[in-house]
Amino acid sequence: MLRFVLKRAASALLTLLGVLALVFGLLAAAPGDPAAMAAKAGARASAVSPEALAAFRTLYGLNRPPLERFGIWIVRAARFDFGISLSDGRPVGERISGALPATVTLNLAALLAALALGVPAGIAAARRPGGRLDRISGTLGDALFATPSFVLGLVLLLVFSGWLRLTPLFSDGGGFRGYVLPVVTLALPTAAFLARFVRSCVASALADPAAAAGRARGEGSGAAVRRALRRSAAPFAAMGAALVPSLVAGSVLVERVFSLPGAGGLLADAVFARDLPTVLALTLLSAGCVVAAAFLADVVSAVLDPRTRDAAAPLAPAGEAA
Amino acid sequence: MKRFAAAALLLALAACGVRGKDQTSVIRRRLDGEPKTLNPILATTDSEQIVVALLSRNLLDYDENLNLVPGLAEEVSDSPDHLVFTVRLRPDARWEDGTPVTSADVVFTLNAVMDPKVPALARRSFFEGLVKAEAVDGRTTRVTFRTASAGRRDAFNIWLLSAAAWKDGDLATHPRNRRPLANGPYRLGSWEPGRTLSLVRNTQYAGPAAPAEQVVFRVVPETAPAFAGLLSGDLDEMRLTFAQKKDVDAKAGTPGAPRAVTFDELSYAYFGWSNRSPLFSDRRVRRALTMLIDRESIGRNLFGGLAKLANGPLPPAHWAWNAAIAPWPYDPKAAEALLDEAGFRKGSDGVRHKGSLRFAFTFSLGMGSDVQRQMVELAQQSFRKAGIDMKIQPLEWAAFATKMDAGELEAWAAALNLDPYPDVGVSWHSAQVPPTGLNNAFYRNPEVDALLDRLRSTFDRGEAFRLLGEVQRLVHEDEPVSFLNTPLTKWGVSGRIEGVRSSPYGLFLFWPGASAWRPAAGSRPIS
Repeated sequence: MLRFVLKRAASALLTLLGVLALVFGLLAAAPGDPAAMAAKAGARASAVSPEALAAFRTLYGLNRPPLERFGIWIVRAARFDFGISLSDGRPVGERISGALPATVTLNLAALLAALALGVPAGIAAARRPGGRLDRISGTLGDALFATPSFVLGLVLLLVFSGWLRLTPLFSDGGGFRGYVLPVVTLALPTAAFLARFVRSCVASALADPAAAAGRARGEGSGAAVRRALRRSAAPFAAMGAALVPSLVAGSVLVERVFSLPGAGGLLADAVFARDLPTVLALTLLSAGCVVAAAFLADVVSAVLDPRTRDAAAPLAPAGEAA
Repeated sequence: MKRFAAAALLLALAACGVRGKDQTSVIRRRLDGEPKTLNPILATTDSEQIVVALLSRNLLDYDENLNLVPGLAEEVSDSPDHLVFTVRLRPDARWEDGTPVTSADVVFTLNAVMDPKVPALARRSFFEGLVKAEAVDGRTTRVTFRTASAGRRDAFNIWLLSAAAWKDGDLATHPRNRRPLANGPYRLGSWEPGRTLSLVRNTQYAGPAAPAEQVVFRVVPETAPAFAGLLSGDLDEMRLTFAQKKDVDAKAGTPGAPRAVTFDELSYAYFGWSNRSPLFSDRRVRRALTMLIDRESIGRNLFGGLAKLANGPLPPAHWAWNAAIAPWPYDPKAAEALLDEAGFRKGSDGVRHKGSLRFAFTFSLGMGSDVQRQMVELAQQSFRKAGIDMKIQPLEWAAFATKMDAGELEAWAAALNLDPYPDVGVSWHSAQVPPTGLNNAFYRNPEVDALLDRLRSTFDRGEAFRLLGEVQRLVHEDEPVSFLNTPLTKWGVSGRIEGVRSSPYGLFLFWPGASAWRPAAGSRPIS
């Protein structure tokens, strides 16, 4: 088991480095000089002094070769020093720590809400495949899943905040009410997807010969469902890991619609401004979460289902006892 | 019973307290992006400048007619040779901590602008040729330049840094950039990054007290929620799209409804043509392209009639605009005749050719403006009928701007926003081609160059008016780019806000601008 964990951890670290290198390479190669972008921000047709542009580039190390800049960043990041933001000269860590609470709150609440809605809905639908509840939840789920979060969010905002005034227009950090609509917007499509997935896993497990045997022994439906959930643990864990990146990606748009000052909006602004230190730090954070989630999912799967772990182990040489 | 009454009274008072201070004296404004700095000489974005405009007075301010008027300086005079400027500060100018604004602050600010380590991107070019700034006495500063330049006085439309507050540390990353010291009608109250930025009345300001006790800026990146906020009273102002203005006009007269304010600004939209390209090097071709674009129809349909035709390199709001120049008319027949005359004749494929040169090109635009995209598509249809094959290439904004500034685009759509006293040569002099200048079309006309060179040392406004008029006439004749139109700027303002005036420089960057905005007596924002 330890060997399995160590192998997975090493693989996770390499993946992370690869992602960072890829993001750096793409952004460094993309057209757009951060100094010129900052000068153009005022958007007046005046000449910008070459000396001022040079001062900007020197200040933020933009006059160094790309590989050197990446290397410096990696070494500093290992000490949790993510550099200075090109946008405002503040430490990147400070910018991110200011933006993270909103994003973490939004995503955590959305994940919990999606689980609380999607899992019971999926189980209920799986109990009677083809029944009324199954059909209604399927149609509703398809509609929610197909609706872009941006559109859903705007509609909810205009109806509940603009017209009915039940929730605030701007999610000001003014407590619970300010998060209701953003969480609902992010959670609903995920809940729909989750319900479909849970329904499929549980229905498949309920149709399994083991379930039939249980019913023959007089087992109740509750016990059958619990067994079905246990047998579906591995795919559930994998799904949990896959939900995290999709939620984080979705929260970028949701944060913009509801004016939530989160890490998603920070990332979008940093990409447009070619603010590499901020983009890299946020990539490290989000990719780190995804990689960590996948790592945990693998470990949980290995614990719950030793076949997963053993399948990863090398074949025993011929002649050795199994 | 008494205890119960006392508790009820306390609860009632607490409930009032929960509501906050008297909301009548608060103005709620929108920022479409987070300010990154409030350092007056580093501020570049609109979000930053409109906040700093309430915290600081310029040495010289622009009034609503874009005349330079005293601000922090009671007088800025120049020597007969225009090389030495004397800045005399008002005796009552003070920072928010009560200390006087002195010549030491002026010297510090100008030295900072010229410091090679300070990225003063928006200010430095105005002080090119600065030799030294020296304090003569506590209120007087002598500023010496190496060369004389017309329009140099406009450089003193500059906010100041407090030498005492900013002297220690790196200016680019100084903590004061987020806690600036104010000398204007408001000072910084609080700043919740990404959420709100609150200004409060500066009691040390020597001028008339700010009409509102507090101005709260809220960061709302998306226009749809912002518009909902304007309609509900959660916001008191925002820039409007054409569709939003129609909504506001439809609600006009309803109690509490916002109103639309429209005004000319110093800007215009254009289609650029690389004059280096064999397709666009002939001015007959460029004129033909302009005449193939139905700009009046675009103005009616895409801008709701709120756009003026552009006729050259200066917009109608500019003091030197040459009104005598008639814009090129929409005339597809005449345009095709010009193309024929220039040697581009229709081939069997329906596309014009000049020898082996096919009239086909790529037209680039930055993503983000639906109206601009629609203008380009309308032009594409019109060009196609005339035998011109134009492919549209939308580009991410940063990529588009980089390529445009590098002169790498063949044809593009853009807009120019001008300063009140713009150096027109930056965009049209043949020496100002990329990467040093903004002549992205690579336009060349020696006669125009000579006039632009003369303008730099023409200090008489009447003579400058005449020369600029001639520049506009010549550029119009050459039509290096297709000058399209100047859309009127549309702004939604809450019905409860009075004292709103506009200028060609917008609503906020002239004096008194938004510092004169006041909530109407008896009005109350909905909260």
